[in-house]
Amino acid sequence: MPAGTIVAEGLIKVFRTVARGTGVAGALKSVIRPERVAKVAVDQVSLRVDQGELLALLGPNGAGKSTTIKMLCGILTPTGGRVEVNGITPYQDRIANARQVGAVFGQRSQLWRDLTARQSLEVLRDMHGLRAAEYRDRIREFNRILEIEEFWEGRARQLSLGQRVRCDLAAALLHDPPVVFLDEPTIGMDVVVKEQVREFLRDQVQRRGRTVLLTTHDMTEVAKLAERVALIDHGRLMYDGKTAGLRDLAGVTWEAHVTVETVPAVIDVPGMRLTRADGTRLSFAPAPGAGEDLTPRHAVRRLIEHLPVTDIRVEEPDLEDVVRQAFRAGR
Amino acid sequence: MVPQASPPNEWPLTRLRSSLLPWRGMRVTLITELTQPVRYVTQLTMVVTQLALTYWLWRALYAGVRMSAGLDVTQATSYALLGVLYLQFRSVDRWSNGDTMVQLMFEGTIAYWFIRPVSPRRWYLIRMCGDLAYGAVWALVAYLACRAAGAIAGPPSLAAGGAALLTLALGLVITYYLQVVVDLMCFWSTVNDSAVVAVQFASSLLSGAFAPLWFFPGWFQRANEFLPFQSTLNVPLSLYVGRLPVSALPGQLAVQAAWCASLALFTWWLWRRAAARVTVLGG
Repeated sequence: MPAGTIVAEGLIKVFRTVARGTGVAGALKSVIRPERVAKVAVDQVSLRVDQGELLALLGPNGAGKSTTIKMLCGILTPTGGRVEVNGITPYQDRIANARQVGAVFGQRSQLWRDLTARQSLEVLRDMHGLRAAEYRDRIREFNRILEIEEFWEGRARQLSLGQRVRCDLAAALLHDPPVVFLDEPTIGMDVVVKEQVREFLRDQVQRRGRTVLLTTHDMTEVAKLAERVALIDHGRLMYDGKTAGLRDLAGVTWEAHVTVETVPAVIDVPGMRLTRADGTRLSFAPAPGAGEDLTPRHAVRRLIEHLPVTDIRVEEPDLEDVVRQAFRAGR
Repeated sequence: MVPQASPPNEWPLTRLRSSLLPWRGMRVTLITELTQPVRYVTQLTMVVTQLALTYWLWRALYAGVRMSAGLDVTQATSYALLGVLYLQFRSVDRWSNGDTMVQLMFEGTIAYWFIRPVSPRRWYLIRMCGDLAYGAVWALVAYLACRAAGAIAGPPSLAAGGAALLTLALGLVITYYLQVVVDLMCFWSTVNDSAVVAVQFASSLLSGAFAPLWFFPGWFQRANEFLPFQSTLNVPLSLYVGRLPVSALPGQLAVQAAWCASLALFTWWLWRRAAARVTVLGG
């Protein structure tokens, strides 16, 4: 398996906890005769991410995204299934795995609170056994977009969220790993820093060929970064494919509104169906089975070829609507 | 396009260098402590106060007697003051830095320990060595000050001093392993504060840090022989003050080594179990 490849087959994670009763009696019972409860967090998830690909893992809170990512990066031991990252089973060989993966968990920092960000990065440099020249090159590279040297003399507990996450990104990539896991890296950030982080990720994928698995609730991020998405809900993978293909799953798609000079007796535009007619104003949507090939651009061309169009406008639902609809359809 | 990201070099020399470099992580403790002057000023005040009170207390206790429980005033005072110095090895308070095991578990940042090229067991050891080294500096400076002031007497012989130092080192290893056991409880129960308090109390009482063990009843001393605590402090201090002869060293070393070996084995097994059951929930 080439470096930079993530493979998961039938991944399962079951958490076993003790059910706590209410009140004093419930608390006593949970000590004397504990009732064990099994919660399936991830259920038969299979996916593959190839080298240089960015996959966005989407899902509502508690869907199993973070648990999946933690199994893939070797923190959690799966209850069942197979996982391989860079040809290594992460939870079985954590040291070898650690040399080839990096991770950022958006709400959790790996910086030491009372050390400056620079000192934390130096501790991590030593852990990874990096030479001084390598370290300087990496910092220079990260600094180009993340601009961490501007604030890295501040103690981690004094950094803003955006500054802290930028340092965490640098920490995760310090050892030049081919695979990077990012669990909600931009949560709570302002738009300027978000864009900075996105630019950094784009650069790392396109220029450095890193494989990135990203979980996020930010659909703008998905639209700007990911060509492929995987939807997960109640621990199950509902969709894995192109971002554009989500519209088929959701049953929502673009709609073209045209104004024609005269309404023809027979309205027949290949691959499209008439959804509304109001005088010379007509609306069209893709016909069932039109497939992903019929993009809004193609549709515009076809409408102009088949109708005496004087005005045309295409409405596309935003990704957030599509994902929301997709989850409803999946349930 | 720049060269593709690839797995790092795995030459043997690189591996050797990589395995030694993480030890520089010991400096995390020192940097953390030095960035907060209030902490070392407080610690200095506490050590001085504790040493002074202990000295006056034991001098007062011996005001009317020459010998008690086989110890004269110099021995008893030295023992008690060395007990105070021993506590400095555990003086680093990681709680305010959010760096205790229970905090790392609670906040979920323990996750990072499992995606670094240094195993959690080794990183824990490195950090604890940093803590011990920091505490050792305090203990050494305070020891030299007490010696200069004549509050602590020197060991009866060079051999006794060496034996005390050797058993102190093994005692610290035992203390380390006991701390590992307490900290690893977090993997099974997210709260371990009551266990920490219980073990710290038991450790201080049964090791002789509160008072020399000869002042306790016979049954207490006999029961204590089956526990690891007295090996951590009572043995090295008894050798230092001459209450235990140097000829008792081999036997004491054997007991300490047995405790070290069994605790090492037990904590090795605990780490394996902990790594298999680590749970970090949520995003």
